[in-house]
Amino acid sequence: MKTNVSSTRRDFLHKLGVSAAATAVAGTQPLTAHAAVRKRNIQYAMLIDTRRCTGCHACSVACKAEYDVPLGVNRSWVEYVEKGDYPNVTRNFLPRLCNHCDHPDCVSVCPTGATYKREEDGVVVIDEDVCIGCGYCIQACPYDMRFLNPVTGTAEKCDFCEHLVSKGIQPACVETCIGSARIFGDINDPTSEIAQMIATNPVSVLRPDKGTEPNVYYIAADHSGEHERQRNRYVRVTTHRKQKIRR
Amino acid sequence: MTTRRDFLKLGGVTATATMTGGVALSQARELKSGGADYSPESGTQRKPVPTACWQCVSRCSVIGYVENDRLVKIGGQPESIRSKGKLCAKAQAGVNHVYDPDRILYPMKRVGKRGEGKWKRISWDEALTEVSSRLKKLRDDGHPEKFMFHYGRMKASSSKLIKDVFLSTYGTGTIGNHTSICEGGKWTAQELTWGSHYDNWDFDNTRYIINFGSNCLETHTNHVSVAHRLVDALVANRVKMVTFDVRLSNTAAKSSEWVPIKAGTDGAVALAMCHVIINEELYKGDGEAFLEYCKVTADRNASTAEKVAALKLHLAGYTPQWAESLSGVSASNIEKIARELATTKPACVVSYRGTVAHYNGNDAERAMQMLAAITGNIDNPGGRCRAVGASWNYPKGPKNKPGSKKLKIVDGFKGQAAIPTHHVSHQVLKMIKDGSAGRPDVYMWYCYQPVYSNGDVQENIDILKDENLIPYTVAVSPFYDESSALADIILPDATYLERWDCEDMVSPAQIAEYYLRQPTVKPLGEVRDFGDVCCDLAERMGFPLGYKTKEEYVRETCENTPGVREAGGFEYMRQHGVWHDPSAKPSFYSHKKEIKQAALEKDGVIFDQATGVYWNWKKTGASSAAEAMDKGFVKTSKAFKGYVGQLINGKVYRGFPPDAVNKSGYFELYSELMEAKGFPPLPTYTPIPEHQEMQAGDLVLTTYKVNVHTHSRTQNCKWLTEIYHQNPGWINPQTAANLGISDGDLIKVKSKVGELETKALVTPAIVPGQIAISFHCGHWEYGRYASGNRPPENTDDTDLEAKWWTENGAHPNWIIPNDPDPINGQQRWMDTVVQVTRA
Repeated sequence: MKTNVSSTRRDFLHKLGVSAAATAVAGTQPLTAHAAVRKRNIQYAMLIDTRRCTGCHACSVACKAEYDVPLGVNRSWVEYVEKGDYPNVTRNFLPRLCNHCDHPDCVSVCPTGATYKREEDGVVVIDEDVCIGCGYCIQACPYDMRFLNPVTGTAEKCDFCEHLVSKGIQPACVETCIGSARIFGDINDPTSEIAQMIATNPVSVLRPDKGTEPNVYYIAADHSGEHERQRNRYVRVTTHRKQKIRR
Repeated sequence: MTTRRDFLKLGGVTATATMTGGVALSQARELKSGGADYSPESGTQRKPVPTACWQCVSRCSVIGYVENDRLVKIGGQPESIRSKGKLCAKAQAGVNHVYDPDRILYPMKRVGKRGEGKWKRISWDEALTEVSSRLKKLRDDGHPEKFMFHYGRMKASSSKLIKDVFLSTYGTGTIGNHTSICEGGKWTAQELTWGSHYDNWDFDNTRYIINFGSNCLETHTNHVSVAHRLVDALVANRVKMVTFDVRLSNTAAKSSEWVPIKAGTDGAVALAMCHVIINEELYKGDGEAFLEYCKVTADRNASTAEKVAALKLHLAGYTPQWAESLSGVSASNIEKIARELATTKPACVVSYRGTVAHYNGNDAERAMQMLAAITGNIDNPGGRCRAVGASWNYPKGPKNKPGSKKLKIVDGFKGQAAIPTHHVSHQVLKMIKDGSAGRPDVYMWYCYQPVYSNGDVQENIDILKDENLIPYTVAVSPFYDESSALADIILPDATYLERWDCEDMVSPAQIAEYYLRQPTVKPLGEVRDFGDVCCDLAERMGFPLGYKTKEEYVRETCENTPGVREAGGFEYMRQHGVWHDPSAKPSFYSHKKEIKQAALEKDGVIFDQATGVYWNWKKTGASSAAEAMDKGFVKTSKAFKGYVGQLINGKVYRGFPPDAVNKSGYFELYSELMEAKGFPPLPTYTPIPEHQEMQAGDLVLTTYKVNVHTHSRTQNCKWLTEIYHQNPGWINPQTAANLGISDGDLIKVKSKVGELETKALVTPAIVPGQIAISFHCGHWEYGRYASGNRPPENTDDTDLEAKWWTENGAHPNWIIPNDPDPINGQQRWMDTVVQVTRA
């Protein structure tokens, strides 16, 4: 399910950060269509250092409280991956949230434009006034991050706590994290903590083969899946939510 | 959820910024961590109320956020030097307690038979008239001790107001706690060694951690404050941590090395490490220097060389090979870890219930103390430190207190526990049934679940139900739990988010933190904080306490406490929630402080030749200096209260002051108090009797707690129970194969006192020969989220329709007997022998 982000991608990101700052100062406009996506001055992103994650679920519950998320659905959760043979057993933790992709499949399938990637900071958001609850985005997301809110009937997911970030406060999951495993910030600012951590550590993203270019990065993530059982190895993935199978 | 309006607003801001230069947009704004919260719906700021958590005994400082008079969110307190703004899942879910649709909001009186589930609402006046008339009669008849008060968690100002002011003015000393089902055994072992209880692990400064049976990354008495420091140690400081556990807890999983160990053998491995350290002379240096403060032989004047010789002799048989044969930990690994521990400075020796809740737990903990002592890792930066917490100056209430009378039912049966300094609460109901030490007429419990929280659940139910054994039962609880269901009257308590307290939990910064709990919202329904109720009851019985409410008591405490008072007292604490002395330095090595001559010459201070202790007989139970001199320090009642200092090699030091027993000011590896009770004075390994008689196929049941629940109190929190509501039995694949059990099978687990059914979780994350079943689950009351059962009164909650789980797990306490550690009375949660079969 996972591979490390190649050094070329990291370099690319790094250069982008530099070029974004330079662009702002110079006031010039990038020219190519692809770069037009990239010219975004701010791209909010999250880095999760799984070495610091203790699997405590504080993030999951903080998120439930922040948005009063109904039972049965989640914007944020933590999966456990336990594997090995006695006594050489490991258990690793994989916190999950919306990847706020550069090329989000949820946006391209949305028939009403309710889901879109914000120009000002790259956060993928849902306008609940426009969402018709068709569920296409839920099918399209390769990460299973979306759900229909059973109360409002519209699609919902993590929005990086934009109501807090816009007021100068960290997202709720970042604030509570006991191990300080989560770093949130502008990946396009080369001086930001997140950009520097990504520049100096091997990082990975979920399902890079999908070409969505996620903006949630992991340090030392264990991407093992239950499919490895087919190779006769013990692997147990626990999702800690209603949906027991991980996509 | 984001509205169109918000987008436009944000867009407007962007446009303005662009016009005024645009450069600002090239950088995201600096984000602060917590301290404020806004509604995702309206964008309006939520009102912050600094207060304190109560989900577990850690009692972190938190901030409640209130919107339209409703508590909607709990965040961390960034100003706290303990938790530093971090919070666990349980703390976040505190909101669920307040708005639990199955809360008890009005006083309730049973109308059917006890336990039949038939109730009627009554007024507070009716409830308190009934309770106070019963209590007053007992008091007027000269039998206040027949009022038994049994609490689970009662701390700081609640404890002072309820116990030291209300109950002591009333005159009952028949007061039970629940420490023996927590970790009371650890505390007794520590009191015997270094006088006081509670060890803080200084992860900020350590270089090496050895952990026996603590799951401090998931659940601990100082959980968040310790856990965030431990993660920093492991990741930022690259500290090596070795964890011994029967099970791969998340703490073991995050450790550098998980060492699987057979249940009840931690003490054997620790003693074998001591053997290696002494024999290879790895104690030299810090360990040797610390031995000056240790008592190792009967002779308090023994030289360090004599102390080393005595240790060598005592430890001679505790070889790594011997420990391997018991524990399954290889001798070579024991040697390797012992050497690492002794040569990496400073190092921290960690232990908890996995070590302590056994037949031999007392000496396993004393062995941990020995391991830390001989490596010089006691009360040093980076080591195992004496706890530091707030010292509030509490008002004492009415001057004329009658002197308490008590029934001797809180320390277990005669001969059951030799030194139960934290009592033997799990025997209370058995003792009431027995009756030979008397029975209470009124049994009231507070923040406690006598039915569910102890072992022998069926027996607890049978006794509590029997009106001949206990004529009148009163539950003080916000919830209709398994014990409330067996009350005659329920006094609906405020949740911790609706009440006042001064708080004081241990600070891992080694600097005391003072903090406040205040109501985040007005109490729901007619619930009342029990502190307020005590003030009311006292008034009704004719002995007013001098306070109408706990708020008054807390206010006066804030105004009377040095430091807090100067900072601004009660109003400062209301606004800020936390205070610490900014000029305070972390406390280490307090045993090295020399006692001034003037203190030794104070009126009443005498010297005890036998122990080398200076003590003030006037603060003890002695009636004259002559009597005190004659009896001596050890045999004088409450002598420890008069402790002044310890003579060591010609100087008088503060040493390790006794706090509960009459030990000397030495760090007592050699305990004459133990010896006097017929136990070996030096830490000794004793096999667990039941484990020596196991039949082929028998397993040892171990219990544990998970990161989203406290023992019995959180299954009503929907956000937590959604994550964890089933507790399968963990079984090693090899063991499962021998028993013909596959992953997911329904299994029967049977002990000498009962049987339960759960599913098998076949996993390599547990030692062969064990089965691990967590606490928390298997409620049959406690509301719909916990058990599916509707209490007699309830309200509505839209989430109830979305509750998607129907199974609620199994409670292991049905099959665990209430059996104490023979030294300290600790409940033996980890010793039960069981037979496991496919159901």
